[in-house]
Amino acid sequence: MKPTSLLQGTLDVLILKILDQEPRTGWAISLRLRQMSSETLQVSHGSLYPALHKLEHEGWIEGEWGVGETGRQTKVYSLTKAGRKQLKTETEQWARLSGAVNAILESA
Amino acid sequence: MSWPKKLRAIFQRQSVEQELHAELADHLESEVDQLMAQGIPPNEARRRARATMGQLSKIEEECRDARGTLAWDQFQQDLTFGVRLLARHRTFSLMALATIALGIGSATAGFSLLDGVLIRPLPFPAPERLLAADGLGMRGPFDTLRAHSQVVDYAAHVGTRPFYTPSPEGLERQEGSEVSANFFRVLGIGPQLGRTFLPGEDQPGKRRVAVVSHRLWRERLGGRANAIGQPLVLDEVSYEVVGVMPASFTFPSPAARLWVPMNLDPRAVGLYWGSGGISVLGRLKPGTSPTAATAELRAWIPRIRAMFPWRMPDAWGTEASIQDLRAALVNGARVQALLLFAVVGLVLLIAIVNVANLLVGQSSARRQEMAMRTSLGATTARLARQLGTEALLLALAGGLLGVALAHAELAALKQVLPPETPRLDEVTVDARVVAFSALISLLAGLVFGILPTWSLRRSPAKIRGHWLLTTEAAFATILLVGAGLLLRSLWILLQVSPGFRPEGVITAEVSASPAVAASVAKTTALAASLREKLGAYPGVRQVAAMNVLPLSPDISAFAAAIEDHPRPPQAPAISLWSTSTTPEYLAALSIPLLAGRRFTAQEPAPVVLISSATARKFWPNGNALGRRLRPVWEKEWRTIVGIVGDVKSYSLAGPPEWVEGEVYVPLAQAVTTVSALKLAIRLTGDPTALARQLPALIRAECPTCATSQVMPMDEWMARSTQAPRSLASLVGGFALLALAMAAIGIYGVVSHGVQRRTRELGIRLALGATQPNVAWLVLRANLGATLAGVALGLAAAWLLARWIGSLLYGIQPHDWASFSAPAAVLLPMALLASVAPLWRAMRIDPARALRES
Repeated sequence: MKPTSLLQGTLDVLILKILDQEPRTGWAISLRLRQMSSETLQVSHGSLYPALHKLEHEGWIEGEWGVGETGRQTKVYSLTKAGRKQLKTETEQWARLSGAVNAILESA
Repeated sequence: MSWPKKLRAIFQRQSVEQELHAELADHLESEVDQLMAQGIPPNEARRRARATMGQLSKIEEECRDARGTLAWDQFQQDLTFGVRLLARHRTFSLMALATIALGIGSATAGFSLLDGVLIRPLPFPAPERLLAADGLGMRGPFDTLRAHSQVVDYAAHVGTRPFYTPSPEGLERQEGSEVSANFFRVLGIGPQLGRTFLPGEDQPGKRRVAVVSHRLWRERLGGRANAIGQPLVLDEVSYEVVGVMPASFTFPSPAARLWVPMNLDPRAVGLYWGSGGISVLGRLKPGTSPTAATAELRAWIPRIRAMFPWRMPDAWGTEASIQDLRAALVNGARVQALLLFAVVGLVLLIAIVNVANLLVGQSSARRQEMAMRTSLGATTARLARQLGTEALLLALAGGLLGVALAHAELAALKQVLPPETPRLDEVTVDARVVAFSALISLLAGLVFGILPTWSLRRSPAKIRGHWLLTTEAAFATILLVGAGLLLRSLWILLQVSPGFRPEGVITAEVSASPAVAASVAKTTALAASLREKLGAYPGVRQVAAMNVLPLSPDISAFAAAIEDHPRPPQAPAISLWSTSTTPEYLAALSIPLLAGRRFTAQEPAPVVLISSATARKFWPNGNALGRRLRPVWEKEWRTIVGIVGDVKSYSLAGPPEWVEGEVYVPLAQAVTTVSALKLAIRLTGDPTALARQLPALIRAECPTCATSQVMPMDEWMARSTQAPRSLASLVGGFALLALAMAAIGIYGVVSHGVQRRTRELGIRLALGATQPNVAWLVLRANLGATLAGVALGLAAAWLLARWIGSLLYGIQPHDWASFSAPAAVLLPMALLASVAPLWRAMRIDPARALRES
């Protein structure tokens, strides 16, 4: 089976979910994405960044520059209060939507 | 995204870009570290990391996009690029900018004229309720209507006339207007200082009061508040200054410096019922309509007709009508203003087509650049945006230059247009006009942007060239036909013999004191003394004095009864033009005596001379001498003693159509009093010395006289044709401009065509086509397109010509010469503009052409 292309906007929720656990760098998020979805959801590393920048400018996540373990300048993202709220809304929406779709699929 | 961040993203572009770089670099390094930790060699790790990452520049672009500054960013890029491009292609840019600036500048100037004269509301409160009542013309009817109207507040004025006030240098002329007492109230404009007229101040027996203009107040009354209550001597009568109007008040004419109440005395029967020249205006009362005003006016006309102290023809007043005041004021200028606007509109269209053409040419030259951009990931939309930005840059820069140019053009227009053009003083480049030019700049930018973009998608040959040629030729043809018609009409008008010889004649206007002006005998005595005094001046041959000069814009007509030609009592009387003059008149202006005799200085009995056309009209059998005529209000007949050559008394185009004949009467027997004497002095030698000394000479003879309008008769004549001359020169000038633009456009199209077809033409030459073959190939298509444009333009001009028929003299709107001129001008011009590119086409070296492409 070919990797499912990511539904529009799904990546955003996943990022919010990942950052809900702990602040991470972009690379760490991409690593976590790969582990979490065991490669079902194929995200090219590059496409992560536009999403991050979009979320940052929506005010849902916050990036902070610091020096990482490697000694390199690195940008660490964390969830904001608004982001937490957004995650909750989107999770609920997702649950409703998938519930509804499941119901339809099973009844048919 | 919040505004602070957005702004940061825009203004701290540098650091945001650096952060983005650093972030992506960090990601790569982390990935490499991890891969290396799995035992993969560094080089391979780096390669894989990059592979999983994707194209960095694309990610960065998408990140910028996500930040929402993309559009701005690209706009900035495009703008920078556009400016650089313009700077690099200097000739192209200068040509394009100059063309747009000329087009938009002309259109802006034309629009401000149209706006100021026709569109903009009058500068009075609630101007839409102001109206003009046409066809009343006399004090009595106006006074009656004002007293009784339920629908309209009627007011009136008498145009402007000169008033003379004493000044250290003798008498000074001030234009003033007699107005009804409610004039200012009806217009809705209050004084800046003092008061306007009180109700009843236009009735007999009131103190003499005057309202002055802001300018007169500043220049003559010191601009102080205590000017109110001061005396102001006008025509030897003292008035009390009661008010000062604001500087913006320029009604009925910008020349007006003062206003005095008109005399509405029913007991002065002649003035009240007999003298015309009254303009009636009014303001609709609340809750009424123009229709009601018209109905009321119609109902009153028969009643007013019955009030006249003498029997008026039944036709009197049937033409009276109610009109919007603005429409009534600008009526005569409507066609001219629209024509000028249409002309500058065409110039603008040609300019736009020209620049669009340049841009299309350029964009086909830039196909390589565009192809490169596409392969680097630019979408068509992105390219379109780039071209659009460039086009907009060009259009707006051109528009800005155009507005600056419009100021200059408008100043020039105002110089060229006749000063009596209504509302000319209100015409300026203001916010409305600038908004208009911004709008047309944007539209032009749109055209400039769309055409090249369109041409990106299709084969450039399809969009390029020919239809642009056709369009340009069509527009230019319309302009040329218009200019041709007006110029031919003017030429014919200028060929019209005025019936007198203006060379070596000086004219002047002499205003005497009211006491003199009120008495024909005193006026005649003054004329005699002036003749004596000025006749002694070296070189002077004749000195003639009269009430009106030939080619006078002032009407001098009277209602006449003519022996052998009785009119039924209901019919309007015969109107005859009358010139009251001294015996030297015919000699001074070299008007031939055709039959009978001239006047003498002392005519014992009433006599007249008539023009030969008048003689032919009323006495076709040639027995006019000895016949008689008289003003309708006189008992005594005047005998025709001579017939003189026809003179254009009113305008070169002829008298007003209601004037049926022309007569000359001795000044001593003048039909009406003469308010200001006109002098015509014929002399040998240089007239300038006399012209300079004339005012002093006249003052020495008559200290209370004021001399004005001293000028050679030639100049006086030129004034009478100023309106058609200015119109013809304006339209002609714009047509020339359009022609020059069209030439540039044709040159551009042909030379781009040759450039584009270099390879094809090279092959043809290589296969044995001769150079003339190749030249004809190039020429044929362009000539065909130009011809098609000329044909289209002629068809359009044929339909439009009728519309300027009222401006033409002596030719039909479908004058064949004017319609053949464009082809005669445009086709050779098209050939001429093609010479250089054709030369290049013929010189194509087949070998090189094939190798290069």
